[in-house]
Amino acid sequence: MRMLRVAAIMAGILMTALPAAAQKTLNVGVSVFTGTLSPSGGGYTTLSLVLLTSDGLVRRNADDTLGPGLAERWETVSPTQWRFHLRKGVKFHDGTEMTSADVKYTLDYVLDPKTVYVRKTRIGGIARVEAIDPYTVEIHTKQPYPVLLRGLSEIPIEPRLYRERVGMDGYAKKPIGTGPFKYVNLVPGDSYELEANKDYWDGAPKFDRLVVRQIPEGATRVAALVSGEVQIIEEVPVDLIPSVQRRRDVEIVSVPSSVSMVLTLNQLEPPLNNPKLREALDVAIDRELINKQMLDGRGEILQGQLVTKGTFGFNPNLKPRAFDPARARQLLAEAGYPNGIDLTMLTQSGRYLSDTDIANAVAGMWQNVGVRTTINTLEGAVWTRLDRTKELKPINMIGWFSVGDADFNTVWYTQASNRAYWKNDEFEKLFVAARSTIDPQERLRHYGRMMEIMHDEIPSIFLFGLPRVYGKSKRVKGWEPSSDSLLRLSKLELE
Amino acid sequence: MLSYIARRLLLMPVSLLLVLGIVFLIVRITGDPVEIYLGPEATQEQIDLLRSELQLDRPLWEQFAIFLADVLRGDFGTSIQHKAAALPLVVERLGATVELAAIAFALAIVAGVGLGILAAVRVDRPADFVISSIAVAGQSMPSFWLGILLIQLFALDLGWLPTSGRGTAAQLVLPAVTLATFILPNFVLVTRTAILEIARDPFVMAARARGASEGRILFAHVLPNALNPVISLAGLQVGRLMGGAVVTESIFAWPGVGRLIIASVFQRDLPVVVAAVFIVSLTIVVTNLLVDLAQATVDARIRLG
Repeated sequence: MRMLRVAAIMAGILMTALPAAAQKTLNVGVSVFTGTLSPSGGGYTTLSLVLLTSDGLVRRNADDTLGPGLAERWETVSPTQWRFHLRKGVKFHDGTEMTSADVKYTLDYVLDPKTVYVRKTRIGGIARVEAIDPYTVEIHTKQPYPVLLRGLSEIPIEPRLYRERVGMDGYAKKPIGTGPFKYVNLVPGDSYELEANKDYWDGAPKFDRLVVRQIPEGATRVAALVSGEVQIIEEVPVDLIPSVQRRRDVEIVSVPSSVSMVLTLNQLEPPLNNPKLREALDVAIDRELINKQMLDGRGEILQGQLVTKGTFGFNPNLKPRAFDPARARQLLAEAGYPNGIDLTMLTQSGRYLSDTDIANAVAGMWQNVGVRTTINTLEGAVWTRLDRTKELKPINMIGWFSVGDADFNTVWYTQASNRAYWKNDEFEKLFVAARSTIDPQERLRHYGRMMEIMHDEIPSIFLFGLPRVYGKSKRVKGWEPSSDSLLRLSKLELE
Repeated sequence: MLSYIARRLLLMPVSLLLVLGIVFLIVRITGDPVEIYLGPEATQEQIDLLRSELQLDRPLWEQFAIFLADVLRGDFGTSIQHKAAALPLVVERLGATVELAAIAFALAIVAGVGLGILAAVRVDRPADFVISSIAVAGQSMPSFWLGILLIQLFALDLGWLPTSGRGTAAQLVLPAVTLATFILPNFVLVTRTAILEIARDPFVMAARARGASEGRILFAHVLPNALNPVISLAGLQVGRLMGGAVVTESIFAWPGVGRLIIASVFQRDLPVVVAAVFIVSLTIVVTNLLVDLAQATVDARIRLG
């Protein structure tokens, strides 16, 4: 009898142990990690983890294009009224069906003035949401609102019943969504463990478990990849790219991002209110060289405009001003500084890929034409405060990202954003016009002209579209690295 | 003895409050947690809402009064980034740091004192020269660099140990060695000097004259008397150990309090910073007390003086 029991226990152990051995686990190393899984906070770091367990109405793809998410299709009834047809039979992880009630619940909650939700402004143009029937939702906007779809792609739909039962705090501790992975365990500062959702509406992931580990130090992240502990890492430091390329089983993959690295010049005060001085600074920079040295040639040289080539609103007729130190010296003299000038550039350290290296390289090139540049590196919180009070002057280096639509980064050059270090009335009018119509052709025309104005007036010197550099094991197949830093892992295969 | 302990215990809250007050002021004055949390796209409406929720719209002195009253009741507030009570958050992460620091500390003392004794016994001979040179070199080696080198050698080239993370004993080895190396050289050098100094004392000569063996002189006479500077060094090193843990935790992705403090300082997440600094200060103050007590036990001059 006793033997039998032992045998039964042994068999039990074997049965649980065997499938576990055959399990496929994907390990991912990330640089920053979130403190909470609440969709209301934490920016893209959090959103990246939240979207593992949930979906938006609209899905933004790895290359910033848009496609159907929980809504399988949609149409505009009028310029201010959109109708979304929800996918039928989509289940939350607790088995309840996702319907229009959940969509309305989520959007109403996000838009509630009493809710603090970090990405609230992304859908701020919505006037009201109506559930027509279980699978149809209508969204009314205050004005024609062309960026609605892109905004919706950043709002994960939350399950109404579960949220009402456990509250936001309970949801953040154990999120339940419609997404490709299910929550298993979160160890703050260490790792997030998930399992594949075998019933995922867009096809179950082809591996069983997912562990996202935080490895803050770049060199350790690379070591963890090379030693096989993790199969994908984000943010490979540029100087460590060769050490990955030297190894046989791992490789570097990089994509252009929509983050535009620019040097913003304070045009509102002397000396940079002088257009010749601004142009001198622009033509003194050898972008090719900096891209090669500091970004491993993986950056995209901005074409004399704010947005990257892949962003809606790109103006194909513009080119960057040619690198010409002799002309820079001449312009400097014409601007009234034949003996050169002293300037200060503010930057952050470690905020963007190779940021201080790029700043130092620019300063060196300016030095060559007689612009003696001091670089002042600010800590993030101090930067944020000076940013609010508009004291990042006379020159600051910053990355603005567009997530694919010019509306999102041109906004920083309008007076309403309280971030602009210039003022241009035509630009202001065009900005409003471009976000008040849903006709793409008309919008493109407006953005084209806005890019031209910025090219001529140089409110910022446009440097690079920064690349995102990932490292991956060659066992990982069919994975598209994301240009917006959100992990998209549900489609890849692990050999 | 009891009055000595009582005196020390009475001073403890004063130093802790002083530390918390300084932390409060520095974190509050140099940045705004709400703006950092909400990012550049936040509307004024959202900023105002969160600010009043967190009582950040009140004058600084009033915030400080609320803060003090809460802390005295044992309430450190709620983390804005983690949306959770600050103290449990810190306590949850404390285990990892204590585990790492305790092992590194033990390693440093055992190896440091052992090597120090060896160097003193072999003074001015090759062994002393090698140990002392390595100790001096170790003292000037940044932990950051050492950590990366160890990963390179033991995780990548030899493949014996994992690079980072926490969970298995193997994952503890590299961070513990790195952190131990941060304070170990001090133990070597201080032990060596202390022994050499005591060895010159007349009572050692007297023991030798009595015909006591060298081993007996070392372990029965010299070592107990050389212990005092080593104990007081150990007390001082606890503070450095906590500082070193911050760097070590970052390199090895060790989920401890050190990294939590760093992240929270950058985010100006005051409740977490204060709770963490409180716990760390408490650890240091208590260890210093223990060190003083140990010294008083070992050395009657302190106890009576």
